[in-house]
Amino acid sequence: MTGPTTNTSVPSKIADRKVALPWYQQYINIVGPMAMILALALTMAIAQPRFFEFQNLMIILQDAAIFMVLGTAMTIVITGKGIDLSIGAVAVLSAIIMGMLIKDHNWPTLLAMIVALLVGVSCGVANGLVITKLKVPDLLATLAMDQVYRGIALVLAAGAVLARFPEPIPTLGRGRLFDLIPTAAIVGLIALAIGYILYNYTWLGRYAVAIGSSREAAVQTGINIDRQKIYQYALMGLCAAIAGILLTGRLNAIQATAGMGFALHTIAAVVVGGTVLFGGKGSMFGTLVGVLLLAMVTNALVLLHFQFFWQLIAAGVIIISSIGFYSYLQSSGSGDSRSDE
Amino acid sequence: MDAATQPILKMTGISKSFGGLRALMDVDLELYPNEILAIVGDNGAGKSTLIKVLTGVYQADEGSIEVEGEKASLNSRRDSIDAGIAAVYQNLGLVDTLAAPANVFLGAEPIRKVMGLPFIDNAKMKTDAIRILKERVGVEFPDIDEPTRNFSGGQRQAVAIARAVNGTDLKVLVMDEPTAALGPEETKNTLNLIRTVKERGTPIILISHNLDHVFEVADRVQVMRGGKKAGVVEIAKSTKKDVLGMIVGTGIATDAVA
Repeated sequence: MTGPTTNTSVPSKIADRKVALPWYQQYINIVGPMAMILALALTMAIAQPRFFEFQNLMIILQDAAIFMVLGTAMTIVITGKGIDLSIGAVAVLSAIIMGMLIKDHNWPTLLAMIVALLVGVSCGVANGLVITKLKVPDLLATLAMDQVYRGIALVLAAGAVLARFPEPIPTLGRGRLFDLIPTAAIVGLIALAIGYILYNYTWLGRYAVAIGSSREAAVQTGINIDRQKIYQYALMGLCAAIAGILLTGRLNAIQATAGMGFALHTIAAVVVGGTVLFGGKGSMFGTLVGVLLLAMVTNALVLLHFQFFWQLIAAGVIIISSIGFYSYLQSSGSGDSRSDE
Repeated sequence: MDAATQPILKMTGISKSFGGLRALMDVDLELYPNEILAIVGDNGAGKSTLIKVLTGVYQADEGSIEVEGEKASLNSRRDSIDAGIAAVYQNLGLVDTLAAPANVFLGAEPIRKVMGLPFIDNAKMKTDAIRILKERVGVEFPDIDEPTRNFSGGQRQAVAIARAVNGTDLKVLVMDEPTAALGPEETKNTLNLIRTVKERGTPIILISHNLDHVFEVADRVQVMRGGKKAGVVEIAKSTKKDVLGMIVGTGIATDAVA
């Protein structure tokens, strides 16, 4: 029934609000990483001004590109209280299959690329099925599936390095639009823009928030949780495959051992960007900021002549301190008390 | 009750067993338009089982359910929603990180097609949510765009009710212990909300263990005891003592209860 909407009494205002958040805590998720970027930029301005040269900034964008694509889907997956540790293996498996079709079987490049995307989606759907139907927790499921996909890639490639791919793969991976901006970064930014729309204007993002914030509420409103989780992981697989193509094009070569640190680096960027690791809240813009911050840190360490291994240490420290920082904010009564299960 | 009025909801001879435990035995329930029917009873009296049968969570072993005179088979929560039976659960089922409009329309978002693709119409959602909250629930929020975790208990209750009454073909609203976890001020607000929703045309089944609240808002009260219907009384014609007597089983006292 539409109900009688004749409205005689004046609507009552319920004014007993619980807590007003301090202004800075509403924006802390963005302000935090922004401040870190600023601090880093200031340090670099003093320590190594070459950091700000146009070519170097473009290298940073180039480095960030793959993680923009991966971060897009990871933001949605983590918002839905999930996590995907298999993305490096999915990226490599998709790329190896694409590479073998092109190099060993003379498939048309575009067709092989489409197959790569389908492989990625299939891996994602498989992850989703293991998580929802076999009820294996997301973390363990994708950790185990990572081994499976990596193993398949290793078996298929049999130790070979596939190299020298036809266009458009090298252009996508390492080309420059107008000889200026890395093509891969354009792909990454488009992915994030689409991700922003998916997150804020479609049921995919909305239900990820609902499931991540309160699974029970999602069930009570009739949301099909299993189906949504499978969609989320399928999108993650698709983005991993795109990352695999970009990775292949970047070096114009692919081998089955590539992309090892993808998962942790992506999760780090997403969490640094303010997406709550335990679900229910996230930000696509924050992910962009997080990805850029991590790429800048890596680049700065290179410019300052630190050994590669220091990058690993820096990435690890940034992840731990970010998560610790947000956890502290939440426990100190900033009101991020998510509802129960 | 007006003899000419037909019940909007009629449950007849409902029985439900779980293994050897007979949770409901031949229970009837009638809900009339424009009334609040409270269901009271001790723990294990069968009130929540009865409500779960009505909301499609459990299926009755025997008995029939009629909504507006038509037989309804409620085999799932979805069936029950489709039959026009909305429910506000004790935990409210809100997504704390979403604003009120997104919560009111959760699972039933208004869609705007752009190039054939479905997008959530956030603007329409907000306008409609404000209207539903104002017209059907009788509240206005100064800060509707805030995540509902920043809301008070009464405000959260209002959002949950707005979602429930938002169903296009709503006939019955079931409320499970709405005041159980609230302070005195919020309880007052919530009882006002319940009254408003009824006044604006939605009959309500109210499960409560608090007789004060029941006597404040309900029109009739059905007492459950040991899986059976112990009786139904009109609030205007009875006292809390009478109802208490029925709950604990000292019989339906006509004039005096020990």
